[in-house]
Amino acid sequence: MISLRGVTLIYPNGTRALDGVDLEIAKGSFVFLVGHSGTGKSSLLRLLYREQLPSSGEVVVDNIRVDKLKRSRVPALRRNVGVVFQDFKLLAERTVWENVAFALQVTGARTRDVMRQVPRVLDLVGLAHKSRVFPNELSGGEQQRTAIARALVNNPKILLCDEPSGNLDPVNTNEIMDLLHRINLKGTTVVIATHNALVVDRMRRRVIRLEHGKILADEERGFYHVTTTEAGAIDAAGSATRVNNGLGQSTLFSE
Amino acid sequence: MQLTAIGTVTIMIVLLGTFLFTQETLGKIGGDIVRQIEISVFLNDKATPADARALTLALRADPQVKAVVYIPKTEGLRQMRELLRGQIDTSLLTINPLPEKLRVQVVDPESVHAVAARIVKKPNVANVEYQRDAVERLLRLSEVMGRIGLGFIVLLVLTAAIIISNTIRLTVYARRREIAIMQLVGASNTYIRLPFICEGFIDGFLGALLALVLLAVGRWQLWPKLLSALPFIPLHDAGIDLRLFALQLLGVGAAVGIVASWISVGRYLRT
Repeated sequence: MISLRGVTLIYPNGTRALDGVDLEIAKGSFVFLVGHSGTGKSSLLRLLYREQLPSSGEVVVDNIRVDKLKRSRVPALRRNVGVVFQDFKLLAERTVWENVAFALQVTGARTRDVMRQVPRVLDLVGLAHKSRVFPNELSGGEQQRTAIARALVNNPKILLCDEPSGNLDPVNTNEIMDLLHRINLKGTTVVIATHNALVVDRMRRRVIRLEHGKILADEERGFYHVTTTEAGAIDAAGSATRVNNGLGQSTLFSE
Repeated sequence: MQLTAIGTVTIMIVLLGTFLFTQETLGKIGGDIVRQIEISVFLNDKATPADARALTLALRADPQVKAVVYIPKTEGLRQMRELLRGQIDTSLLTINPLPEKLRVQVVDPESVHAVAARIVKKPNVANVEYQRDAVERLLRLSEVMGRIGLGFIVLLVLTAAIIISNTIRLTVYARRREIAIMQLVGASNTYIRLPFICEGFIDGFLGALLALVLLAVGRWQLWPKLLSALPFIPLHDAGIDLRLFALQLLGVGAAVGIVASWISVGRYLRT
């Protein structure tokens, strides 16, 4: 479904965001991209929906060479790839219903398709009862669910999430992750860039760890590993691990 | 900001319309004058009426000559007596000092020099006269006005286009969140562009429409005053189709609006 071969991305200011990345993600996968800020997680996601072009290498999404795609074909790609952001990116002057419907209307959907699809996705994300509410009247979690509904309304095969829980409290974070899990169970490939260790360790899915633009590790049922010189050693084979943060505090991660 | 764009197009079309109308009218006046310029051909003393008639026929065969009128010296004397009546006693003239004369009109005013140069070499021709300087000045003026006009028009159109473009850019900037989401969910560039193209069209069209109203009012007020102030200049606009002229100006306004907004949005979508 997603394939990166020898992908390097260098920004105009010389920053090497990605360095020779090789990656394969199968259809229906649920993948975490982890690493601290600046390791290239968001950059990698941007390649997948053609917000960014690689400096070199191949990017293939659903059998389409995204790096070679003509600009006129990019809208069609994006209808097949839903994207969710940390800051939700909702339109404040439109209701929940209108925000979700917007994604169908601008792609030329007929009114009857809009009337059918919007309630379906609002139901999926648990916001059917809040369709007439405006974003500023919703909690953070509800706003993010609205954004997920909008990302899903065109029935994309892939859902990309860039720090979806970045602005959420732990309760809402768990709700969002459960929702993403349910979406994945329906067959959608889900790729989440996050630096939320608790979420990653709780879900124990495939974890691809990025460091300085390179893939440091790729584990099927991985943990989030904090790689700083002050942190303690992490025993990935153990069922429970205590990690020191160098400030006299420790956190226990468990399955 | 939109009012600024409409206002700029209005000013552009008013200036453009005034300039084009003036240029067209002056061009017609100049053309009429130039077309009326005649070459006066004076034959020498030895030329007989038969020679004059032969020359007339020869000149009429020239494809660049439109008309030739033969004025016998007797007719010339009669016309002169008529012209000078009351000023001098022409009965004192006992001999006819005037030569046989031909009045020649050319097809193309720009060929008058060449035709005159050919005529002066014909047998029995003593002299040719035409308002050479006037012809040259008129032809040059027309050429210069054409060039200045083109530069002026280009400047006006560019100014209006830049203002409209900036207006559209501000609108695009104000709606950037919406546009970003539209791009994110897969809206085509055409779908995104269309509302802004419509806005540009409306700005240009409304601006041109307002300009036409101002031009119509201006013409209605000023034209009779001009006609009475300059009776010796044959001002007329019978040759200008005002309805077509108005449609053309509307078209220019709308086109400037559409093109400016197309370019403006296109630049944003490419970044």
